[in-house]
Amino acid sequence: MFFYYLDLAWRSIKKTPMLSALMIMAISIGIGITITTLNIYKMMSTNPAGEKSGKLFAVQLWSQGPDAWDRFDPQITYQDGFNLLKSDIPRLQTPMFRTGGAVQTEDPAFLPVLQSRVRVTNNDFFPMFGLEFQYGQAWDDSVDQDARYEVVLTDELNKTLFAGKNSVGKTIYFNAKPYQVVGVLKPWAPSPNYYDLNNGAFGNVDTLFVPYSLAPIEEYGSWGNTNGWNYESINNYAQRLTSEKHWTQFWVQLDTPEQVAEYRQWVGQYIEQQKKLGRFGSPKADVQLSDVDQWLAINKVVPEDNKVLVGLSVLFLIVCLVNMLGLLLSKFLRRAPEIGVRRAIGASQGQIFAQHMVEVSLMGLFGGLLGLAWAWGSLMLLTKKFDLESSLTHLDTSMWLIAPMIAILAAVVAGIYPAWRVCTTNPSVYLKSQ
Amino acid sequence: MLSMKNISKVFKTDLVETHALRDFNLEVNEGEFVAVTGPSGSGKTTFLNIAGLLEGFTHGDYFLDGINVSNLSDNKSAAVRNEKIGFIFQGFNLIPDLNLAENIEVPLRYRGFSAKERKRRVEQALEQVGLGARMKHLPTQLSGGQQQRVAIARALAGEPRFLLADEPTGNLDSLMARQVMELLENINQSGTTIIMVTHDPELARRAQRNIQIVDGQVCDFTMYQPNAARSASHSSVDKLVANAQG
Repeated sequence: MFFYYLDLAWRSIKKTPMLSALMIMAISIGIGITITTLNIYKMMSTNPAGEKSGKLFAVQLWSQGPDAWDRFDPQITYQDGFNLLKSDIPRLQTPMFRTGGAVQTEDPAFLPVLQSRVRVTNNDFFPMFGLEFQYGQAWDDSVDQDARYEVVLTDELNKTLFAGKNSVGKTIYFNAKPYQVVGVLKPWAPSPNYYDLNNGAFGNVDTLFVPYSLAPIEEYGSWGNTNGWNYESINNYAQRLTSEKHWTQFWVQLDTPEQVAEYRQWVGQYIEQQKKLGRFGSPKADVQLSDVDQWLAINKVVPEDNKVLVGLSVLFLIVCLVNMLGLLLSKFLRRAPEIGVRRAIGASQGQIFAQHMVEVSLMGLFGGLLGLAWAWGSLMLLTKKFDLESSLTHLDTSMWLIAPMIAILAAVVAGIYPAWRVCTTNPSVYLKSQ
Repeated sequence: MLSMKNISKVFKTDLVETHALRDFNLEVNEGEFVAVTGPSGSGKTTFLNIAGLLEGFTHGDYFLDGINVSNLSDNKSAAVRNEKIGFIFQGFNLIPDLNLAENIEVPLRYRGFSAKERKRRVEQALEQVGLGARMKHLPTQLSGGQQQRVAIARALAGEPRFLLADEPTGNLDSLMARQVMELLENINQSGTTIIMVTHDPELARRAQRNIQIVDGQVCDFTMYQPNAARSASHSSVDKLVANAQG
């Protein structure tokens, strides 16, 4: 019977093209707006860490004094990062911060390019966050111990510097110092850029990676936030490294809950030790470990405004559905005499109801497909007019399924009352009058 | 076959109660051709709607084929209508968007017949009413008499035991009315029970039994015996088909 109902639905749509087009248009506009906001919301709230999400933890320390901020700061001090590295509990761990500078090749004709997205980190960063290499590999552990001038390039920067060719073994100059390229990454663009949310969560992926061990030597400046809770006179880089300023991020990989508990205990002991040295003066001194989901929530990667916008678009969809409901009621009741005949010759209320549900579902499907086109157009417009990141305005593939499903569901909801009205109408009323 | 005992039907509004049927009793035997007459507003259509399970009633019992159908669920009523009852209406009530074959197969679809069986029955029914060559025509392309014959074909396709006809010739001219009436008589002769509501005393006289309803009650029974004149006036289906095709 489904295909029979589908055939009747198609005939009905063709029979009243204007009315059907109005209904499809109503639902498509609602769906278009809902899918646009939902798509942006989804792209913002995606957890790009995948299956490692529950194993990667951002480490936060309440190291500030009693009269400072009443919260965990997203970053920690350089000295705490340095000390935490001494734990052998995490399988992988890395302190890091962002810096920047001019990059050039050995080719004298190549003009230096400013790179504002340079990550200072150690070699655990690459396996922790799932970066894969196109050429070469990460620098080895000895570089993190003894500080050698080696770098890893992203595919993007390698294209800029070496036209995408294998550049492993070549030399680049970063702030006029020569570094040897040891690896080139495959294209990589986590969205949001969860490992460092200080510089914006989207479209802000690093392009060059330099060893953390070089920081005290090269005195890389922090191109991210630096938070201080007390006055400190900092006149040189060494003072910055030993200061109470929060400017580095610290991530660990803990594979089991036992490891998490053990690490938490270890850091707790570290805090007690530091208290004896006169640091961690607040009674609230503690450690907070947040996995990626928690980290994205703590940092409010999806702004409240965005949630409100999704809510408003759903309300708009409801308004469209109410309009559709009215049009459906008019269309279905106009068909009541035919339904009276069908009922008289043996159709049950359930069969009539199903017939109309198939019809509204078909209109919902058309509305959903048209709504997708609206959403695609809206996202293109947003990208062009408001210069939004393409990672946010790219129409997610899941929406190709979600949009028709929401549209069909919404149309079915709107169609329930009109279908119920027409299938419960007394057929005898129309049989005489037809 | 059909047995109504003390059926009452009351339509209520805030101000008035209208007794469409009161203590209505009727027995119709299998194979009978019963004409129902009566003045306008007497309750003929209400009786027909109740007999066809299109409307419920306030009091009484209704047995169809020995089964009490007084309180059937909607699904069961629909199944009984589909399997046992065929309807013929004054206004034909064909679905205008469907061609003749599609119109006739509507009840067959609800009954769950296979495509092959539906096709067989549709062809048979259309042949029976002399419109076998017009399967793909739309109802609007036919005359009133032809449309009524399609409606009869639709009613017959499910091979019902019981045909309910509400003024089947009311919208037809006298020639077409006679042809439709002859078709109904032939259908009745093949064993189908027919109850026909009509205002036309001439048509009523051609039925085996005439029931008059006045003020919602059966007030008169007249049993007609088939007579020579009536027999002579019968045309065979073959003749009808020949006329239609001619």
